[in-house]
Amino acid sequence: MFKITVKGIFTHRLRFALTALAVCLGVTLVAGTLVLSGSITRTFDAIVEQTAAGTDVQVRGAQLETTAVDGSKQREPLPLSLEKKIEAVDGVARVAPDMSGTAILVNKDGTATRNGGAPNLGFGYDPDDPTIRITSGRAPEKKGEVLVDESTLELAGLAVGDTTKALIQNDPQNVTITGVFTFGSSLAGATLVLLDEQTAEATWAPDGEVPSFTIGADDGVSQETLRDRIAQVVPAGTEVVTGDVVYQEQKDSFGTAIGFITTFLLVFALIAVFVGAFIIANTFSMLVAQRTRELALLRAVGASRGQVLRVVLGEAAILGLTGSVVGLGLGILLAAGLQAVVKQSGLEITGGLPVTVSTVVVSLLIGLVVTMLSAIFPALRASRVAPIAALRDDAQTPPGGVLRRGIIGLVLVLAGFATILPGSLGDKPQWALVGVGAALLLIGLLVAAPWLTRPVVRLIGIPYTALYGTVGRLARENALRNPRRTATTASALMIGLALMSSVGVFASSANASVSDIVDSELTADYVLSSGGFTMIPTTVADEVTTMQGVTSVATIRSAPVQLADGSVFAIAADPRAMTENVKLDVVAGSLDSIDAGDVVVSRTAADDRGWKVGDTLTAEVGTRKNQSLTVGGIIDDSQALNNPNMIVPLDLYAKTVPAAQQGDFLLYVKSDGTNTAALRSQLEDVVKPFLVVSVQDGDEFADAQAAQINSLLYLIYALLALSVLIAVLGIINTLALSVFERTREIGLLRAVGMSRRQLRRMISAESVSTAVFGAVLGMALGLVLGLVLQRALVSQGLETLSIPWLTLAIVLVSSALAGMVAAIIPAWRAVRLDVLKAITAD
Amino acid sequence: MGAEAIARAIDLEKVYGQGEAQVKALRGVSVDFGRGEMTAIMGPSGSGKSTLMHCMAALDRPTGGDVEIDGVPVRGLKDKALTQLRRDRLGFIFQSFNLVPTLTARENITLPVDIAGRKVDQEWFDRVVDTVGLRDRLSHRPTELSGGQQQRVACARALVSRPAIVFADEPTGNLDSRASAEILSFLQNSVKEFGQSIVIVTHDPVAAGYADRVLFLADGEIVDEMVDPTADKVLERMRGFDATGRRS
Repeated sequence: MFKITVKGIFTHRLRFALTALAVCLGVTLVAGTLVLSGSITRTFDAIVEQTAAGTDVQVRGAQLETTAVDGSKQREPLPLSLEKKIEAVDGVARVAPDMSGTAILVNKDGTATRNGGAPNLGFGYDPDDPTIRITSGRAPEKKGEVLVDESTLELAGLAVGDTTKALIQNDPQNVTITGVFTFGSSLAGATLVLLDEQTAEATWAPDGEVPSFTIGADDGVSQETLRDRIAQVVPAGTEVVTGDVVYQEQKDSFGTAIGFITTFLLVFALIAVFVGAFIIANTFSMLVAQRTRELALLRAVGASRGQVLRVVLGEAAILGLTGSVVGLGLGILLAAGLQAVVKQSGLEITGGLPVTVSTVVVSLLIGLVVTMLSAIFPALRASRVAPIAALRDDAQTPPGGVLRRGIIGLVLVLAGFATILPGSLGDKPQWALVGVGAALLLIGLLVAAPWLTRPVVRLIGIPYTALYGTVGRLARENALRNPRRTATTASALMIGLALMSSVGVFASSANASVSDIVDSELTADYVLSSGGFTMIPTTVADEVTTMQGVTSVATIRSAPVQLADGSVFAIAADPRAMTENVKLDVVAGSLDSIDAGDVVVSRTAADDRGWKVGDTLTAEVGTRKNQSLTVGGIIDDSQALNNPNMIVPLDLYAKTVPAAQQGDFLLYVKSDGTNTAALRSQLEDVVKPFLVVSVQDGDEFADAQAAQINSLLYLIYALLALSVLIAVLGIINTLALSVFERTREIGLLRAVGMSRRQLRRMISAESVSTAVFGAVLGMALGLVLGLVLQRALVSQGLETLSIPWLTLAIVLVSSALAGMVAAIIPAWRAVRLDVLKAITAD
Repeated sequence: MGAEAIARAIDLEKVYGQGEAQVKALRGVSVDFGRGEMTAIMGPSGSGKSTLMHCMAALDRPTGGDVEIDGVPVRGLKDKALTQLRRDRLGFIFQSFNLVPTLTARENITLPVDIAGRKVDQEWFDRVVDTVGLRDRLSHRPTELSGGQQQRVACARALVSRPAIVFADEPTGNLDSRASAEILSFLQNSVKEFGQSIVIVTHDPVAAGYADRVLFLADGEIVDEMVDPTADKVLERMRGFDATGRRS
């Protein structure tokens, strides 16, 4: 029987090739994601390993629950004086207080040297640090001298000996590049600038406090021994850990971040695989239908049902495996390609292309299992072919009614609405109900699709039957000939487009909501904000306050606040300045309570946690534990302030946040309105030395917020485009098979005078009907889901519903175009058919 | 050959395959098909009768010689011109699968006219439809029609565009004798009433008996012809061929 399986594949090699391509593309995405994440992991592992190389023991303050600006956990600071104590311990080779912060070099064009959102790091230079090797020039010796790593120098376009400007911990200064060093691993896009130890101390440990010390051991002293010895001399509550522990911790924290990215990408890869499953199922049902006579003949000459089943499943297995193996190979290429793309943006991934056993197994298994599962129903149908069918002339049994599927699908859709509406329309969205409802809607639509084919395709057919007459009518009837087949083909497209449109509605609503809210809440004329990991130095606010025409300046600082049950997003601001620049609706209590040392919380936070005015909370703020905060007021959520959960007094911030970490993340400026243009250029002059601080008016501020949403949106579109591509392959496949099935009919049409052009047009119109049918279903579902999502998120600030009609129109037109493109190959095959051979074919 | 020729084969040759496997299906056939006549082409299997018709009907390209339809030489025509020739000047009736399953009988009949983008001559359409007796079946799909009815639709389609000549390839091959008789008398009537020229390929002496003239083909050559045939006379002649062992 194996021979028959192999023969079957060779006889129908084109359609098997197309189907294998569908499997292949899905597996490509899965494998590409796995390989890429493997190589990113290795890149970061190398960085962590390199960083930890000189660390045998780390001494650090007790961990706090609050999160620092860079996303790591805050630690209780340790006094620098501890360095002497540790140095005295037997077996200690070197002790380096960890002094670090931000340092941005000005490149030769006068702008910031940075790679997208990658951090710009500054450290103190420790001559004994084994991870840093100076390759040219010398170490920095005094303020105004810096040592720069090779890739940073290259990015800046500068050379050793050059003098430039730098922004070191928000302090603009002139610096000379005294030397260049190599770190020993890729920095994944981060820039590194080293200062001499004294300058570093003055910059990053002005209070004489550091978060940790890095300790190197003498030869022959184990990490554990040294750890135990040091633990004897440091104050109680101080953590002493081995370098291995530090390495593992950092590895884990990168692992979590990379895991998130991997999961995100895998979701889209699996969507593509799911879409591919439809195409596989469709191809096998068509092949089984076309081969009914052949299969019946097998049965007639004595093959058992099981054997027929195995023939078809065997074909699926070979196809699945072939597609998966090729997909795996392409996946590795895809990962390499993505690495190259990412490298353009400065993030160098040096982890190679690790193909692990698990990557291979997972990729092949997904491809194989999905193919087999998709083929199982067609295979069962094949095994049920009666031997007598071999003798019947009309081997292709016409498909049964679709009414039953329509009814079941409709019931599922109704159940979906019944679940999703209460889940989304209540005061608080119930995501479990929304999820189940969305799944029911999708499944219901998939089930009902064959029943919907007739009415919808008829409607879609109106323009081209009007345009092309009989040729158009023939195309429409061909699309309707087998509603199940058309529906399955269209469904593959529907899934990708449903997701695209719902994400589109969501993003468009988010954009509209942000700009609406910013428009209505923001009374300031200008907003100063900084990008990435840096903050606006506090001195900027002082300078702006004294400018002519400025009536009010509100400084908004990000305050690390941690409650017993998790962290909250808190800002520190002056209530008066804040209300002069932003409209705030006070729900209870008062804003002025901030002046008295109380905190104000947002309505959402208050609702979630049951806070009332007068409640007292215990929290960690910055580096200080057990701060008691009294709720003095509740305000409506404010998008203009970036939706903080809590506003704390500025003096609490000053008291709890280390000086090196202080700064504004937003600065609102209100003018008297006399000469705003002049004010703007003045503001721009002030922030210019700070490189990454921008000046925006209200509209620009809203646009910038929208741009963040849009870049994510485009990423999702690009990822979904791949499943749409697979769906288009499905259309090609179905059409090619249909053309093959209708060889005689095409011969007849050609014999009675249909021109090649008309034939091409007929096949193209059929293809367009299928594609547009899929698009219409997908967009309908996507609109419903987008609408539900927006309703559910009203309380989270997604107040304005905006339907991106233009995008939807583009999607619809693109689908029609995709249908035309899909028709090219099948139509080419059809017009090349020899009329006489076609009409006399079996 | 009293009437002027509507179609003409001049020294027609057709060779299939190459080298050892070469088969000469037509070995220099020259023949005129009369205008307003029904000509039957007969011969045993492999005699080249279908090949002759396919070449005459511009469905197949001869290896040598020329074909003229209504004074137009077919040789050298590109696909577009061939398509137009088939659409506007020729009618076809095949043994089976004559109809597009997604179209109704009416749509199938008017298909060549519709494809050409012309208006259906309603009077002519009515006359053809009434002659084949399909008036009450026009809105049916092929699957709802009997084999005989399907062939009658095919006949009507072949006539509705007023072609110069109709080619019928074993039109009764799949039909019982009663349905066959209906089709054949309809074709005969269309010659008498409308002056339609028809070429019919058949291996059935009864079918050939309806023709005005019968050409006998064997081994790719015309070996005989008979004017005003009857089924018996044709049968007699066929027996003669079999006896002399003409089949290879």
